[in-house]
Amino acid sequence: MIGGVFALAMLLMGALVFVVAERTVALRIDSDLIHHKAKFLRVPSGRAATSEEVAARIRDWQARKITSERTYSLFAPDGRQVAGRLAVRPRPGLSDVLFLGGGRTWQRGRALAERLPDGSLFVIVQHSEAAAGLRALLPHLVMGAFVAALTAGLGATWFFAHLTARRLAATGATADAIAAAGDLARRVPMDGLDGMFARQAESLNRMLDRMESLVETQRHFASALAHDLRTPLTRLSTLLTCDLAGDEARLRRAIEAAERECAGIIAIFDALLRLAEIEGGRHGGAMVALSLDRLVEDIAETMEPVIADAGGTLVTGPLEQAAIHGDPGLITQLLVNLLQNVATHTPAGTSARLSVHRAGDHVELVLQDNGPGLPREDCARVLRPLERGTAAADRRGSGLGLSIAQAIVRFHQGRLELADSGPGLEVRIAFPAVALPRI
Amino acid sequence: MHCLVIEDDPVIGGHIVSGLGAAGIDTTLAVNAAQALERSRTGEFDSVVLDRLLPDGNGIDIIRAWRRHGTVPPVLMLSALGSVKDRIEGLESGADDYLAKPFHMAELVARVHAISRRTPQRGSSEQAARSVGRLRLDPSRHAACFGPASVELNRKLYSLLAHLMLHADRLVTRDMLLEHVWGYSFSPGTNIVESNMSRLRTRLQELGIDPILTRRGEGYVLLAGACR
Repeated sequence: MIGGVFALAMLLMGALVFVVAERTVALRIDSDLIHHKAKFLRVPSGRAATSEEVAARIRDWQARKITSERTYSLFAPDGRQVAGRLAVRPRPGLSDVLFLGGGRTWQRGRALAERLPDGSLFVIVQHSEAAAGLRALLPHLVMGAFVAALTAGLGATWFFAHLTARRLAATGATADAIAAAGDLARRVPMDGLDGMFARQAESLNRMLDRMESLVETQRHFASALAHDLRTPLTRLSTLLTCDLAGDEARLRRAIEAAERECAGIIAIFDALLRLAEIEGGRHGGAMVALSLDRLVEDIAETMEPVIADAGGTLVTGPLEQAAIHGDPGLITQLLVNLLQNVATHTPAGTSARLSVHRAGDHVELVLQDNGPGLPREDCARVLRPLERGTAAADRRGSGLGLSIAQAIVRFHQGRLELADSGPGLEVRIAFPAVALPRI
Repeated sequence: MHCLVIEDDPVIGGHIVSGLGAAGIDTTLAVNAAQALERSRTGEFDSVVLDRLLPDGNGIDIIRAWRRHGTVPPVLMLSALGSVKDRIEGLESGADDYLAKPFHMAELVARVHAISRRTPQRGSSEQAARSVGRLRLDPSRHAACFGPASVELNRKLYSLLAHLMLHADRLVTRDMLLEHVWGYSFSPGTNIVESNMSRLRTRLQELGIDPILTRRGEGYVLLAGACR
């Protein structure tokens, strides 16, 4: 394809060179003719020559020049040839003529004829051997140049294509291997690559690093989910296969227990759906200027009985007045999830404190408890979906509470940090502050 | 009470019909949108259970069609689409309540009762709910009063009691309370209702009454008879 376009371009170029050269030669001949006509038709003093003088000059010129590319003739007004050898009588002006050169071969020539004041016709015919030779040579020359350029061009194209293909072959082989075997551990080999090829291979390898880690996370998530579902499903299956015929009370208890297991499974899927909604920004709430201290107070009121039932205590304060730009539903869920963790994962007697502080252009929400806290290495882990602290013996809850909390904080352009508050856990969340809503 | 059930899945449809029947509600079943529009032309219904996705149309379109032709009975929309956005969309389209599959039959029955009760006396219900028997709410003090005794409640407990009194003698489920008292559109997966309910019960016991009945696995009922 590229070769064809290239050849066509070369051909056009050749044709152009041919036409321009041909035209230049023709113009040159015409101007020669005009120059020599002027020379013959004037005497040295500048006066126009008479026909007798012209005839004399022709004869004189013939006597001096044996061979010349030009031939001069003069015809009397009655048509009789007065001087010169060539019996060609073209119309006045420039024209192409055909004549018998040397009385033997027909030759092409360029003629210039002019009528003299007494009615005689002066004719110059130029037959340039050099011009004819050039004209004959021109097509061969152009063709030769065309073939040479085409060969060189195609050769260079092929060479570069081959070079590029050889460098890309390694990339292609890696991509094919990944596509065929799903082996994301493979990377594009970098040796022998330079310039843009090296940069491209590097960026491809960076993409593969990222993909490998994403797939790893996904794989881990899937196996964790399978594990989390296996437990309640196993219990459910056990309940359903028990032979409880006839024992009304035990049957009812088994049904209740089975329903609880189902509810647990549904809760995991609800939480997963919710997580995906929040991460995708499809949770359906509206962003408003939100008074965080009031919201904290409100939710503490709701969650205090929950923590009290779990044997803990919840206190609030100090609650500095602060507003954030947020979705009330999401911030509520964030706080409920965090307080739920206190109720579920700390021993009886744990006390937790919720506080709100303003810090520069941020609002900080802190939940601190005096429970056993989390080992440092668990702090990053528990924020991931379906991950629990290593010490968490029970597997209550969906295992998604903190992931959802993290997603909510991220959605609000905030930052969530877990830290050891020695003893106990400190959850510190920073949101960008906005002006307090008018009341 | 007569309920139009519009559900294409034969198992779920049969389950709903028998469940509502057991709760003393007459039902008519329609298995697609065309049948639903046909049935609604020929009969009078107090409530509708409407599946959102039907083989020949969308539940939301059915509500729109009814709207064009006059009054719409109270609608409980059922859907496998359980996201908050879907719920909001369903409610905005004119459904009175929205229930995601899978659901408990008790939840469905309670919600059908609640929506069909909601329509006739919307204005007076708020007033009526301020007292059940001798149990009264005092909004100025956020207090519950029983005879001469009274006890102050925090905002959440007050709203909780008000909601139970509004639906006195009817089952109110945990999810209904989360939606209407707390306004939570997410499933908190925690004992919020249980813990607050036990707190409320303790406060009412200080007044010398214990009118809240827990129906295990179903919900709560405020017994008017216990407030005399």
